[in-house]
Amino acid sequence: MITLSGLHKTFENNAVLRGVDLHIGKGQSLVVIGGSGTGKSVLIKCILGLMTPDAGQIVVDGQNITQNGHAKLLHRFGMLFQGAALFDSLPVWENVCFRMLRSGQSRADLRDVAADKLRRVGLEPDVADKFPAELSGGMQKRVGLARAIAADPEIIFFDEPTTGLDPIMAGVINDLIREITTEMGATAITITHDMSSVHAIADQVAMLHDGVVQWHGNVAALAQTDDAHVRQFITGSATGPIPTLR
Amino acid sequence: MIRLLAMIGAATLGGFAAVGRIALFMASTLRHLVTQPFYGREFGKALFQIGFLSLPVVGLTALFTGGALALQIYSGGARFSAEAVVPQIVAIGMVRELGPVLVGLMIAARVTSSIAAEIATMKVTEQIDALVTLSTHPMKYLTVPRVLAATLVMPALVGVGDIIGIFGGYIVGTERLGFNAASYLQNTVDFLEQRDIVSSLVKGAVFGFIAALMGCYYGMTAGRGASGVGAATKGAVVAAAVLILAANLILTEAFFSI
Repeated sequence: MITLSGLHKTFENNAVLRGVDLHIGKGQSLVVIGGSGTGKSVLIKCILGLMTPDAGQIVVDGQNITQNGHAKLLHRFGMLFQGAALFDSLPVWENVCFRMLRSGQSRADLRDVAADKLRRVGLEPDVADKFPAELSGGMQKRVGLARAIAADPEIIFFDEPTTGLDPIMAGVINDLIREITTEMGATAITITHDMSSVHAIADQVAMLHDGVVQWHGNVAALAQTDDAHVRQFITGSATGPIPTLR
Repeated sequence: MIRLLAMIGAATLGGFAAVGRIALFMASTLRHLVTQPFYGREFGKALFQIGFLSLPVVGLTALFTGGALALQIYSGGARFSAEAVVPQIVAIGMVRELGPVLVGLMIAARVTSSIAAEIATMKVTEQIDALVTLSTHPMKYLTVPRVLAATLVMPALVGVGDIIGIFGGYIVGTERLGFNAASYLQNTVDFLEQRDIVSSLVKGAVFGFIAALMGCYYGMTAGRGASGVGAATKGAVVAAAVLILAANLILTEAFFSI
């Protein structure tokens, strides 16, 4: 479904991606792990068209969208941002149905759609009329998730879905992501540092290090791998091939 | 010496680059202004925020300035026995210059700063990225409604400012300086020409365009974090104020060159 070949991205003198090759099959859930600054967010932003790679190819369903062409595919994408990125000036229900507000459907119908989506992520319908600033961090994440799934996208991106949440709320969000992607049959790409998210969400895991895919395999193989970088990352050890001063 | 020259050269090149970026941003805004989709609800909100909510600050600024202007002209005119020209000079001063310029500067302070801070915060919190992923072009959704609303509503604000400023001069003239109310108004009306009013409204539209464009440009190009938002807000207000004053000179020359 999504194939990345030789993806490069450099910011001034900092080569963040140095030839990333990855393939994500339809309906699969890929979790990308890696230390801070290894280019996980840049990778997602390149696929979404928020950044343009310097070299390499991004192919989605046979269409090369490396330089442009994202606009035609965006309606098939959903994205949960790290900080939820809800629009402060709009009530929750307009955030959830933002894309559909331009589709010509009546606002009353869309408000009902939003209430359904909010219920799906465990929020009461009365949240619909609140503004994002009135919600806790966990509730904002859930609203962001509701927005990401509102238009039933085929491909969903999750950027650090549990960052800043307590362990219980993180578990709730992980379970929701797994349930929803399975139920929708969507292809999911998640980036995270959180190993509990990896085990809850992933079918496949890829580790980015030094701008390339250091390791890629099934989630079940993660615990058995003898790759020193992966071992250090999953054990959280300060000693190993990944420098702690970056 | 070479280092000094290099610094001057770098600053000059940086200045030209900034002008170029702003020109490209303006061209992009105009291109998106004439292409679909148009976000009417956002335009309505911007009209309300920029137009209606600016009325108190515009009114108070104009009222006090008109009154002070009347006092100054009276006191200055007394040096060559020209106290009687207060109504005419207040009218011409407010309509041709002080009305549009002061309203423009107040809008730069109130609206440009607010637009820049709002959009910069949206950028820092990834809301602009979120717009893109939701198939919404940030220029069409954020910039076009604000720039169009400011351009259309500013002539009205300037008109209100002109009237209230003249009224401020009238209050001081009649209550403090002893002018006859009817002759004050008659002198004001008789002295103003159509060209004065047209120039005032055109200046308002241009200043509104500049104020909103600078707010959007600095917001969209803001750096990271709280310091990025602060720098964007400061840069937007300074740029808008300077450009409004420069545009005022050019427009004054265009309308009133002898």
